[in-house]
Amino acid sequence: MRILLVEDDPDLTRQLKLALADAGYAVDHAPDGEEAQFLGETEPYDAVILDLGLPKVDGVSVLERWRRGNVTTPVLILTARGAWSDKVAGFDAGADDYLAKPFHTEELLARLRALLRRSAGHAAPSLSCGALRLDPRAARASVNGEPLRLTSLEYRLLHYMMMHQGRVIGRTELVEHLYDQDFDRDSNTIEVFIGRLRKKLGAERIETVRGLGYRLAPLPGEEAA
Amino acid sequence: MLDLRRRSLVRRLILIAGIWTLLVVVIAGVFLTAQFRGAAIRRFDQSLAVLTDDLYAGSTVEGGVLKAPFLTDIRATRAYSGRYWVILDKSPDGAMKPIERSRSLFDSDLMLSSAQIDKLDAAPGKTQYFDMRGPQDKPLRAAAILTRLPGYPDPVVFLAAEDRSPIDADADRFARITAFALLILGGGLILGMVVQVRFGLQPLFRLRREVASVRRGKTERVEGVYPEELSPLATELNALLAHNQEVVERQRTHVGNLAHALKTPISVMLTEANQQPGQLAEVVERQAQTMREQVDHHLRRARAAARSQTSGERTPVEPILDELAVTLERIFQDKADGQGIEIDWRCPEDLAFQGEKQDLLELVGNVMENAGKWCRGKIRVDASPSGETRMIVTVDDDGPGLPPEERAQALKRGQRLDENAPGSGLGLSIVDELARAYGGSVQLGESPLGGLRVMLDLPRAET
Repeated sequence: MRILLVEDDPDLTRQLKLALADAGYAVDHAPDGEEAQFLGETEPYDAVILDLGLPKVDGVSVLERWRRGNVTTPVLILTARGAWSDKVAGFDAGADDYLAKPFHTEELLARLRALLRRSAGHAAPSLSCGALRLDPRAARASVNGEPLRLTSLEYRLLHYMMMHQGRVIGRTELVEHLYDQDFDRDSNTIEVFIGRLRKKLGAERIETVRGLGYRLAPLPGEEAA
Repeated sequence: MLDLRRRSLVRRLILIAGIWTLLVVVIAGVFLTAQFRGAAIRRFDQSLAVLTDDLYAGSTVEGGVLKAPFLTDIRATRAYSGRYWVILDKSPDGAMKPIERSRSLFDSDLMLSSAQIDKLDAAPGKTQYFDMRGPQDKPLRAAAILTRLPGYPDPVVFLAAEDRSPIDADADRFARITAFALLILGGGLILGMVVQVRFGLQPLFRLRREVASVRRGKTERVEGVYPEELSPLATELNALLAHNQEVVERQRTHVGNLAHALKTPISVMLTEANQQPGQLAEVVERQAQTMREQVDHHLRRARAAARSQTSGERTPVEPILDELAVTLERIFQDKADGQGIEIDWRCPEDLAFQGEKQDLLELVGNVMENAGKWCRGKIRVDASPSGETRMIVTVDDDGPGLPPEERAQALKRGQRLDENAPGSGLGLSIVDELARAYGGSVQLGESPLGGLRVMLDLPRAET
C-alpha cells in the first residue's frame, strides 16, 4: 500500500512516517501544496493524508484540483481546524474522512485502514441515466462528472429509481424501498425526498405522473450519452 | 436621549418660525391699516377743502357786513345732518365770533381750540385740517382757512366740518378684515412650517431607526438612500460599522490562528510522549492534554466574544441540515458493521436561524455527531418553527439513550464557562453554552426511536 503524506511540520512528518512505515505502508512525503498536487496527479497512491494548512497552495485547493482532474484517490484530511464549518467545507471539497489535530496516531491508523478497506470494496457496475451517473461501489452519484452531495436516504431513492429508470414508480413502492422498517414518517415523505432530489439533480429529470407516481428518465437529447 | 434631542430640534425650528411669522404678520397688519386710514382721511379732507373754498369764494361784504353764499348742499341745511359750516370773525382781542353758520348746526356752535387757532394764525390763507367735537359730541373732521376779505375789518375763518364716524367705521372694518386675513395667513404659515419640519426631518428619523436596527442586529449596515446633507453621515456610520467588524474579525482570526498553530506542536508532543515510556513522557502527555483543552476552550470563548459584537445574521436552516447530514453520514460510514448511518431530516424550506452560520453548524453539528456516536444506525432530525420568534431542532437516535439523572448531569457541565471541562463527555456542554449565548436552551429526553432525544430551542429569523 502506497500512501502520500502531505504535511509541512517536520516533527509531525517524522512521527507519522515512522508510524506508517511500522504499519507496513510505503510513504511518500510532500511538504507543500504544489508538490502534493503534482505527486497526487502523477503517482498511483492508495490513499492520501492531507494537512490543510500548507505553504504555497492550501490543502482544500489541492483537493479540489485533484477531484476536478479526476483523481479519485481516497483522501483523509488532517487539520487543526475542527469546527463544523471547516469539516463541511473539507467534505465538500471531496475528502473521504476528516481528523482534527491534536490526534492519537492509533486513531489515524484506524481511520486509514477503514478508508483503504472501503475503497478496495467489491466492484459493482455503475449505473447511468443520461448525464447522471451512480457508482454503487463508492455510493456516489454525479451529473456531468460533478459529484452530487446526497444523504443516504436520497442516495437510496435515486439508486432505486435508476435501477428502474423509464418506468413509473408508485409512491408506496418508493416508500417501501426507502425505509426498511414498516413505518412511514409522514404522508408527504416521498414528496419531500423527490423535491430534494430534483433540487440536486435538476427538476426536469424526475417526472411526476399524476395519480401514478414518478419516473426517472434521461433528458431529451441525452439518449446517446 | 436621542429621542429628546430630536424633539427639541423640531420644537426649536417651529418656535423660531412661529415668532418670525407673528412679528411679520403684526407689522404688516399695522402698516396696512394705517395706510388705509390715511388714504380715507385724505379723500375726506379734499371734499371738505372744496366746501371751504366755496364759502370763501362765494362770501360777499356789503357795508361792513359779511354775507355767506347760498349753498345748495342739502346736507348742510338739515339739522345735525353731519355736515356743517361756519364763518367766524376773529376780533383783535382773539375771541372768535360766528358771523354765519349752516342751518344744520341749528342752535349749536363749532368752537375752535386755542391750539387750532394758533395753527390757523401761523399760516394765513392756507387750508388747515383738524379733528374736533361737534353737536351731540360727534367726532368731526374739519377744514378751515383764515383769511381777510376786502371791506371787512377783522380776519375771517371759513370752516367746513363733517362727521368722520363713517370713515372710522370703514377703517375699523378694514382693520378687522385685515387682522382676520393675516391671522389665517400666519396660522397657515406656522402649520406649513410644522409640516415642513416634520417632513423635512423625516430622513433624520429614518436614519435613527436604521441605526437602531443595526444595533439590534436586524441589519448589518445603513442601507437607505439619504439626502446629500445626511448621506455623508450614513457613509461614515457604515465605515465605522465596517471598521468595527473588521477589528472584531481580525481579533477573531488572530486568536483562531494562534490556537490552531498550537495544535500541531501539541499533537507532536502527545505522539512523542506516547511512544516513550517514563515519567517525563507522562508529564509531557498530561501537560499537552491540558494545553489541548485550554486551546479548545479559549478558541470557543474567543468565538463567543466575537459573536456578541457582530450583528445578527439570518441563516437558512435547510442547507445546513443537508450539509451536516451528508458530512456525518460520510464520517460515520464505517459504523454499524460498515453499513453506515442513515440520517432522515425534515425542515421547512423557509425556516431561518437568527444567528451566524458557523454557530448553527456548531450547534446542530455537535448534537448530530453525538447522536452519530451513540446510534445503532438511525438518526432523525426535525427542525420546525415554534411560536413567533423561536424554532426547535429535535435530534433523535436509536442508541442506548441516557437515564434521566444522567441527562441533567450532561447539561450541568455547561452552566458556567469557567467550570466547564472542555472536550469531555458528550460534547453537549459546548452546545448548551452556545445555545445560551443565543438565549436558547438544550433539553434532553427520550426518543421514540429508543435512544436520546436532544431538543435545541433557538431564535428564529423573520421570514
